[in-house]
Amino acid sequence: MAFISSGYNPEKPMENRITDIGPRHYEEFYPEVIKKNKGKWSHHEILEPGVMVHVGESGDEVYTVRVGGARLMSTSLINEICDIADKHCDGHVRFTTRNNIEFMVDSKDKVEPLKNDLNTRKFAGGSYKFPVGGTGAGITNIVHTQGWIHCHTPATDGSGTVKAAMDVLFDDFQKMRLPAQLRVSMACCLNMCGAVHCSDIAILGYHRKPPMIDHEYLDRLCEIPLAIASCPTAAIKPTKVTLEDGKEVKSVEIKNERCMFCGNCYTMCPSLPLADTQGDGIVLMAGGKVSNRISDPKFSKVVVAFLPNEMPRWPSMTDAIMKMVNAYVQGANKYERLGDWADRIGWEKFFEVCELDFTHHLIDDFRQQAYMSWRQSTQFKF
Amino acid sequence: MAKHETPLLDQLESGPWPSFVSDLKHQAEIRAKNEEGVEFQIPQDSVEDLLGVLELSYKHGRTHWKHGGIVGVFGYGGGVIGRYCDQPKLFPGVEHFHTMRVAQPCGKYYKTDFLRQLTKLWDLRGSGVTNMHGSTGDIILLGTTTPQLEEIFYTLTHEMNQDLGGSGSNLRTPADCLGESRCEYACYDSNALCHFLTNEFQDELHRPAFPYKFKFKLDACPNGCVASIARADMSFIGTWRDGIKVDQDAVNKYVENDPAYPPNAGAHKDGNWGPFDIEKEVLSLCPTKCMKFENKTLKIDNANCTRCMHCINTMPRALKIGDDRGLSILVGAKAPILDGAQMGSLLAPFVEVNPENDYEAITEVIENVWDWWMEEGKNRERLGELIMRQGFQKLLEVTGIDPMPQHVAYPRTNPYIFWKEDEVEGGWERDVAEYRKHHLR
Amino acid sequence: MSDLLSNKEESTKAVVDFLTKKAKNKTKFYIKDFYAIFPDDKPRAIKNVINAMVTDGILEFWSSGSTTMYGLKGAGKQHSSEGEE
Repeated sequence: MAFISSGYNPEKPMENRITDIGPRHYEEFYPEVIKKNKGKWSHHEILEPGVMVHVGESGDEVYTVRVGGARLMSTSLINEICDIADKHCDGHVRFTTRNNIEFMVDSKDKVEPLKNDLNTRKFAGGSYKFPVGGTGAGITNIVHTQGWIHCHTPATDGSGTVKAAMDVLFDDFQKMRLPAQLRVSMACCLNMCGAVHCSDIAILGYHRKPPMIDHEYLDRLCEIPLAIASCPTAAIKPTKVTLEDGKEVKSVEIKNERCMFCGNCYTMCPSLPLADTQGDGIVLMAGGKVSNRISDPKFSKVVVAFLPNEMPRWPSMTDAIMKMVNAYVQGANKYERLGDWADRIGWEKFFEVCELDFTHHLIDDFRQQAYMSWRQSTQFKF
Repeated sequence: MAKHETPLLDQLESGPWPSFVSDLKHQAEIRAKNEEGVEFQIPQDSVEDLLGVLELSYKHGRTHWKHGGIVGVFGYGGGVIGRYCDQPKLFPGVEHFHTMRVAQPCGKYYKTDFLRQLTKLWDLRGSGVTNMHGSTGDIILLGTTTPQLEEIFYTLTHEMNQDLGGSGSNLRTPADCLGESRCEYACYDSNALCHFLTNEFQDELHRPAFPYKFKFKLDACPNGCVASIARADMSFIGTWRDGIKVDQDAVNKYVENDPAYPPNAGAHKDGNWGPFDIEKEVLSLCPTKCMKFENKTLKIDNANCTRCMHCINTMPRALKIGDDRGLSILVGAKAPILDGAQMGSLLAPFVEVNPENDYEAITEVIENVWDWWMEEGKNRERLGELIMRQGFQKLLEVTGIDPMPQHVAYPRTNPYIFWKEDEVEGGWERDVAEYRKHHLR
Repeated sequence: MSDLLSNKEESTKAVVDFLTKKAKNKTKFYIKDFYAIFPDDKPRAIKNVINAMVTDGILEFWSSGSTTMYGLKGAGKQHSSEGEE
């Protein structure tokens, strides 16, 4: 393949260089009906799962069909999205914060043809390309991080755990039968480059073994002071090690009991890998929310301390999630988020009705805020 | 014929949810056939090798990627994440496989001509695999080689009028909800403010200035659809100061269960919840119990309303946000680590949103907070951690915001106030000899 | 801005000297590490000068993804190990 120049001249990188221009202006991309009614919307209604109408003070209507999508997406699929948008929506489309895709049309008669088109498109393997849903009191798309597809410190996969979870939750993606919306999020290690700590249900990858030390290569590949400085708990110290051949090399030692398994040292030093088949797996958290509706935003709580990675479909993980969703549907009041329900019935009941084991790992012992979560009351349920 | 067998990944092709495996396999085939005659600038079989290395991770239960220190294009300290495969002999197509972050348009609206330009560029110079979008909000282009980075940037800036996003110790690409563009709850134009902040602070976005990452997120109302309160160092959440506007006729339509007025805008249509009951579903769930419904009239004691949005969400045709609108600024949210997760804390209860004066009330708070954090923040210390370390009072001092009860959920539960000398009458210098005149040794 | 920071030649020399002296131990530094060279200046002014040295090809960035560090161009151990120049 011959190299094709874009026009960039590597000899003169600053020549004709354009920088600091930011993203394209949003107004270039608004559909006409959006541009016209912006700031003057009267109300909206979810007509059926995945289909909304927003009505302007002018009487104008915009119909939105929301579909789920894997956030890992090929250019050929994006081109197909463009084909659909060109055919039905005058070339406009939008994505949501939760990786859904929204197709908008300006009259009701355009909705059915659009929906039918979306519903008939399937991948060769049989799954929907554009399942309609993800609105209201249901389960919308899972936001997630890279995982094994592209990250160097994940403890599990992102796309695979999400696909496995969304397959079992799919009915509730296309229905609105839950007491309130239920947000599921996924992050593939504790660094949470996608935050999951305030989700109704959070899937979190977690390592449980400190890094290995590749003494022979460490000083050749890494700058030891940087590896030491990268550790958030100051568990890494410089040392000298005698290799099997008698050669003395500079390296590091790790106070294993201080390691919180973050992988920051591996980022700085490739001679400190921490991924491990048995050590790595999944933590489940539950009961968080970010909305200010009725109750304050709240953090998710750890409800399953560890589940092994079970490729390719993580059945123990999806079982535990389904147990929580089913118990929530059975027990919660209308408008009650999962965490508000758990707070109301008490977490001791939560574990009972969700049939989840309570283990010592679920009692907080991390720094001073741990105390806040212990029970300082004689009010509890047997 | 696929280059690598992927028996584990193949099991993720079944089931209803869109299969990323099917999508990648299809993409691999398209690249192999290359009916468009693309002169691929990175290996044609990169997607096959990506599937291959992912399959190996499914077999091993371990990642096969290494981090690289590449940061961006020339002069930029962010926008690119370096990635190398740790099995380059087996998967040469993904040996060097860097990520580029492209700044998303505010509101994430697109026109297809732009997206097609982008996919064409990415087919030519990258793997053709993306994230729409990454967690921060950027368009993520997954997988290209170092020599392509400048070429891609050149095409983006010269032909598409489009810049990269942030990574590293930079301002990260700000992200917003769709706001006034299609939502009646929006208390300010989040798209406009997001675009303004993104452009106003391009230097901070591209060139490291800070001890660590810094995120702006903009929610146009307290429903918080972009989760700013949980994940932004500085979150801008729309609010209002006057009363909720009530259309009493519409309230009664809800009470009468008029089908054109479904509660919660129809969000519970598939549940078996029975007829709408305003007492049970609205009044008794109001967190401050500031509402009454008597004689077909809904009364709201607005002075006691905390604007939680529940009543408005439940009866959107009857209740509207107030007209005296602005935003609250909350600061310090972050996911773990190190001291655990932090939620945003309220700093400025009400700030004017005024594009006419370039949002000066907002940028003033931003600049003050940044000056403090740049000066005092330790390496890799997020704003929330600095506030914990130096105290909320210090934050108020540097921003010139007066303390008020709105700043706390409740006052401190210990009396251990570190009084400053100048706060105590007469100061701390005392005459012990004078004291001893009245107090024998 | 101090005389040292506003004098391009002097400030460059001060930064290069600082980095050369430390090069035996490590080659990548946080922006804050440069504050010590310019005790009389504001962080914002310092970062502008340091970032300009990147554009001038004297320094280069290194990113952990979450943070960005600075070093003398070409210094460090990771470049060659990945087969990049």
